[in-house]
Amino acid sequence: MAQKEEVRILLGNAAIGRGIVEAGCHVMTSYPGTPSSEILPAVVAFKKELGLNTYIEWSANEKVAFDNALAASMSGKRAAVAMKQVGLNVASDSLMSSAYTGVIGGLVIISCDDPGPHSSQTEQDSRFFGMFAKVPVYDPSTPQEAKEMVKEAFELSESFQIPVLVRPTIRVSHARQNVKFSPVEVFDRPADFKKNPDRWAATPRYRLMLHKKLNESLIQIQERFENDTRWNYRIGDGPGTSIGIITCSMSFAALMDILEESNLKGSVNVLKIGTPYPLPQRKVAAFINKHEKVLVIEETDAVIESQIIDKSKVLGRLTGHIPLQGELVPDVIYNILAGVLEEHDVAHLESSTDAEFDMRIDELELPVRRPTLCAGCPERAAFFAIRKALPKAIYTSDIGCYTLGLNLNAVDTVLDMGAGITLASGFYQAYHQDSNDIAIVATMGDSTFYHSGTASLLNAVYNKAKFILVILDNEITAMTGMQPTPGLGITADGSEGVKIPLEELIRGCGVKWIRTIDPYDVDALIALLKEARVYTQSSDGGVAAIIARHPCLICYPEARREVTVKVEITDDCNGCNYCIDYFECPALRLNEEQDIVEIDRKFCVDCGVCINVCPRGAIVPIES
Amino acid sequence: MEKVQIILAGIGGQGILFSSRIFSEWGLKMGLPIMGSETHGMSQRGGSVIAHLKLGDFHSPMIRGGTADILYSFEENETYKSLKFLRSGAICFANLESAERFDRKILDHLQEKGITFRAYDASGAASRMGSIMSTNIILIGYSVGTGLVPFQYDDLKSVLESITKKTYLEVNLKAFETGFRAGKE
Repeated sequence: MAQKEEVRILLGNAAIGRGIVEAGCHVMTSYPGTPSSEILPAVVAFKKELGLNTYIEWSANEKVAFDNALAASMSGKRAAVAMKQVGLNVASDSLMSSAYTGVIGGLVIISCDDPGPHSSQTEQDSRFFGMFAKVPVYDPSTPQEAKEMVKEAFELSESFQIPVLVRPTIRVSHARQNVKFSPVEVFDRPADFKKNPDRWAATPRYRLMLHKKLNESLIQIQERFENDTRWNYRIGDGPGTSIGIITCSMSFAALMDILEESNLKGSVNVLKIGTPYPLPQRKVAAFINKHEKVLVIEETDAVIESQIIDKSKVLGRLTGHIPLQGELVPDVIYNILAGVLEEHDVAHLESSTDAEFDMRIDELELPVRRPTLCAGCPERAAFFAIRKALPKAIYTSDIGCYTLGLNLNAVDTVLDMGAGITLASGFYQAYHQDSNDIAIVATMGDSTFYHSGTASLLNAVYNKAKFILVILDNEITAMTGMQPTPGLGITADGSEGVKIPLEELIRGCGVKWIRTIDPYDVDALIALLKEARVYTQSSDGGVAAIIARHPCLICYPEARREVTVKVEITDDCNGCNYCIDYFECPALRLNEEQDIVEIDRKFCVDCGVCINVCPRGAIVPIES
Repeated sequence: MEKVQIILAGIGGQGILFSSRIFSEWGLKMGLPIMGSETHGMSQRGGSVIAHLKLGDFHSPMIRGGTADILYSFEENETYKSLKFLRSGAICFANLESAERFDRKILDHLQEKGITFRAYDASGAASRMGSIMSTNIILIGYSVGTGLVPFQYDDLKSVLESITKKTYLEVNLKAFETGFRAGKE
């Protein structure tokens, strides 16, 4: 008897995880980063539910994740590696090289893009990385499609012995849809690495041959994509209007809803492209030939558009019809479409915006609600102490919750993972060259330090840089949703790993001055920072490392109860706003009518840190 | 009803994603295709959080301005920012001490567009219950009580029973009931 098809509401990333599991993948690795973080946990959940033997790891960084997955593939197994788009920058060295050496078992790379950007440093389009490395790219437009594409990507990867990239954008990764399940495939693939130095250890002479082979594979893959109708298909089979549209990913989904709502579905022809690289050129050219003009709507950059050979009829980013930055949300697509259809006398779309209403809302001058560190966050305590102890320092920082130290004016730079330390040593050398002594405080989270701190730190020590490094150790990767770190010694599926203590790692990088402190003890931290500054100024000084350790309160709610100090605000408060400007705790707010600060008990976690903050001593513990 | 588009707006920590899940599971029960869009990552640290949910035959999980049927807003400023999503004839449930607090001109404009605006102090009710975290469930219960939404009491209650963790079930059902009664009044 046929089983009833199972349907579950899944997040896009969980659907991708399901696709990885259904494809019989043996090894999955990842480093967390929005919008990709939920893929690996989904694989863990399905592994447990189905009693599978999948090997799953949170790797120390994306390159490490990539290489571990690649080795599994070289041993004949199926492997997947997931990361956010800027993570692919970190893994790119491996990506470029592995495109030449190729794979044995299917290797699928999932790189989640973040047009907007919502939670990233850049809006880069991972599909360009696919082109750059010369690996095929799938570009899903829904969670269901993402799941199916992942499965096909494994098959394509194995058939052509090439790594394959799947690129969901944030709106696919964080969409939620009722997803149809398929049975889980099982492949018995004992690890069997076959030595072949000409391939796996190829010298430049052999690399040229591998490159030729790669180019030949791409031609065959392109041919396969030409004949594919599952991901690359036309909607509207009539002659249609003079304007046709080529689109992909989430832009396709938004466009289809708009065409339906505007009663244009079927009359405006659409070519949906699910495999943007290598582009099925004949299919695209045939579609363009049937129309006077073709609008290309794609996110985030002009990947399809750039590949089109004859662009004389093409409207898109390169002709100024599509914005060069920012997310293509439905309203943006609607306006683009309305403009182009109007310009070519195809149809008139009513304006979807209510200008008068928007103006009235603008007049209210609503405050922009910026993200902020949680009430009781130990990182806030550390940033307050840093500013208090060394108000004139350069504050280099890094990627994580603690980027929000910006709000406390305790973060001057955020470049990429690891740059908290490298920019600190770089600033030191730039000033030192002119014999100028400058205080520099680098802040970095524990997970970021494991990701890319060690090479940066040992380089700084080796080259005699002198600055203060504060590791904000909350014992978890907090920003991306509480993934374990090597410091915790818990692996991806919750089993025990080997703990790598920060202290030992920092000592191993050559740092001689290392102290550990609980940042909740603000006065002691201020004193320690001043001591560290003296050390960095001494002739035999170097990098001074302070590990500010206090568990994340969201991840470890019991950490709230370790110390509780209920506070109140006395009549000494004169509404000077110092605590709000310099401490910015969500639980402290100004009562504008009475011009005093109040405690919002909804948010307050009784950490008591703010007692150290008020210059008038108006925040006091409640006597019990 | 074959299609309904819902916006849920508020700030990090207000249970927007859980609220969205309630309606998704409801849609699944009703046999409707489901498409939703969520905010994860940095904004969850106290920033604006918005969830789009489209039940019925849709392609995209995101709602275009001027097309949503229902808005649930759990925070005052987020209410102002999210009203642009509503179509004429839509309905808004706002967690607000009272409608008098709300900007008069905006209310008039909503009325012109035939948008129903219902303010209810769900946070106040949640505080009285001793569970401020239940604000979202109370407002949803309230909307069902008004009878202005396509969701039935029994259906949403059974969804709550199926998706709430055991430890919170009692308080969630009580919150739902509290809101529902207030909505009926």
